[in-house]
Amino acid sequence: MAAPAIPVAQGVDRRASRGLWGDAARRLLRNKPAILGLCFIALFVVAAVFAPILAPYGPLEGGLAQRLDPPSPAHVMGTDSQGRDEYSRVLYGAQVSLLAGVASVVMGVAIGGTIGALAGGVGGKLDSVLMRFVDVLLAVPGILLAIGIVAFLGRGLPQIMFAVAVVNVPIFARILRGSLLSLRESDYITAARSLGASGTRILLRHLLPNSLSPLIVAATLALATAIIDVAGLGFLGLGPPDPRTPEWGTMLTDSTKFIRQAPWLLLFPGAAIVVSAVGFNLLGDGLRESLDPRMRR
Amino acid sequence: MTAGDILLSVEDLVVRFRTHEGTIHAVNGVSFQLEEGERLGLVGESGCGKSVTNLAMIRLLPQPAGRIEGGHVMFDSQDLTTLREDELRSIRGRDIAMIFQDPMTSLNPVLTVEEQMVETIMAHREISRDKARLRAIELLKMVGIPQPETRLDNFPHQFSGGMRQRVMIAMALALEPKLMIADEPTTALDVTIQAQVLELLRGLTEQSGSAMILITHDLGVVAGMTNRINVMYAGYIVETATTLDLFATPSHPYTIGLLHSIPRVDAVVGEPLIPIEGRPPDMRRAPTFCPFAARCRWRLEVCWQENPPLRPIVDGTRVVMTGTGATHQIACFNPPTEEEAVAGKPLRPGFVSAPPPAGMIDEVGAGRVGSTADLEGLVGEIQAEEGPLSLAPSAGGLPIPPEPEHHGEPGIFHDD
Repeated sequence: MAAPAIPVAQGVDRRASRGLWGDAARRLLRNKPAILGLCFIALFVVAAVFAPILAPYGPLEGGLAQRLDPPSPAHVMGTDSQGRDEYSRVLYGAQVSLLAGVASVVMGVAIGGTIGALAGGVGGKLDSVLMRFVDVLLAVPGILLAIGIVAFLGRGLPQIMFAVAVVNVPIFARILRGSLLSLRESDYITAARSLGASGTRILLRHLLPNSLSPLIVAATLALATAIIDVAGLGFLGLGPPDPRTPEWGTMLTDSTKFIRQAPWLLLFPGAAIVVSAVGFNLLGDGLRESLDPRMRR
Repeated sequence: MTAGDILLSVEDLVVRFRTHEGTIHAVNGVSFQLEEGERLGLVGESGCGKSVTNLAMIRLLPQPAGRIEGGHVMFDSQDLTTLREDELRSIRGRDIAMIFQDPMTSLNPVLTVEEQMVETIMAHREISRDKARLRAIELLKMVGIPQPETRLDNFPHQFSGGMRQRVMIAMALALEPKLMIADEPTTALDVTIQAQVLELLRGLTEQSGSAMILITHDLGVVAGMTNRINVMYAGYIVETATTLDLFATPSHPYTIGLLHSIPRVDAVVGEPLIPIEGRPPDMRRAPTFCPFAARCRWRLEVCWQENPPLRPIVDGTRVVMTGTGATHQIACFNPPTEEEAVAGKPLRPGFVSAPPPAGMIDEVGAGRVGSTADLEGLVGEIQAEEGPLSLAPSAGGLPIPPEPEHHGEPGIFHDD
């Protein structure tokens, strides 16, 4: 087929191809609160990963001779009621929080995402059934639901992760279903269908990638609440089964008994929870701004 | 199949939408045919059912509201209304391709142009990814995109609107479809780009021998692009003719109204434009009389009682549906004469358009029915401007309704 004489359009955009994600990353790096959040998260992740190197003592090391020592050069955050170094325990505690937080959010996204994709992608009766199930989950307050699940399944880190994941399931399911439903009506989906794309192909290739960004934002924000939920369960006595495990929530419960003699024991694990949760919240907000085209400046 | 064979035959197509506010009678028994390689224009204002007709043909109506409630769409001796979804899918894109109005939203923002083009080609042809990529480059070259090899890696947002529409055309042409449906392909584009894109579309469909249905509200666009035109109003075809016949002897009051509401480059300075008063009828009501009656200056009493069928202008003519000899047909009880068509208003001495029957004033909306005297006053206010003017009318081919005036009686213009 010979090309007809066609005027070649002028004014070509010659910018390097960065794509949507490249542009979003550039916008994120210009967002100061998000950078601060990233720093907090980095602090938290470094603490968790390098705890064995950074901690001057083991998490279980100590004797009653040094119990409730105030902060000093030997123990920068003092010692707890068992004489263990608080600084080392806060560092090791980051491992539990990071692991439980990330695992529960991944589980939550997997379960909630599947429910949302099925409900929004298939629709019909399945949509109604799945969404009523999600409504039931939403009707129970999150922490109560988590307590119920841990009480039912027994104490243990995997059970805690699962419980926190279930609390997050309705959020992810609704977000994904909602964005699938709105995208379904968009012009490029009609255009793709008019060119003969199949239903599965439209769901996997066109709908899901476009609905990822709200999911990413929600997952980042959910990490913050997951860390708080895990600590909350620990605080209520539903932490890891071994009471010696350094876990921020459990550490707080232990310290409440000594709040008059050793207030720093509440301060440091509490600060650790706040810093990591605030970090994920700031990053989540930053991601929302850089991924949402309506908020572009 | 050779030229002259019937490619598409739409028979008495009825489309309705079930909504919370009632049933929308979007398409009310539309029939037309298309030959191989023929270019048909579907003209009408917004909401007249032209896009819905085409979406219904390839069964892409918005679900679950939109339903085909009657009629057949025969394409290549298959009835598209009864085909299974997977059979239909192999026809979409390969045999029938569509181009949509807004190129800014018709491409997936997260996939590169290459991914989208290659995907389309590979969905219908058993070829390797490399071959599909080469074909994509060739197509982009054909539609006039410079440096196609590098542009393939770009995302849609890195193209301008006109360039995106070229990409859409390239994708639609990828499999050399027998029928190309272009739904207002240039409405969202700059006027200077419009002509380029139309020229491109015509050149490429001519080459591949594809038939084309061009949907537009812009008579200026169809004039140079099509062989034949169907004028649609309120879900009906009210006039059908070859493009030459239609512009030479427009015969339906609505078509005449459309032509008179467009400013012309060769207009005498100061010559008034004649707007079509009122608005299209409420599509929630099943039509029982002529849908254009409320806005028509030629209406008779019978127009308020019966819906005129589409029939040849010259009684007793054998009806030819396609080609250069297609019969000029209109749906009108009181067709304007040629002189009246030129003047844009009834010239018969003493003729007064029939007022709506007493019980119907509310039903049709009293505000939609203005007397000729009211209209004359209005016409004087809208004057053709000096200098060259675009042929593009305002959206829907309608002038902007003026501010409602109070005459101590029900408003002259509907203001809802």
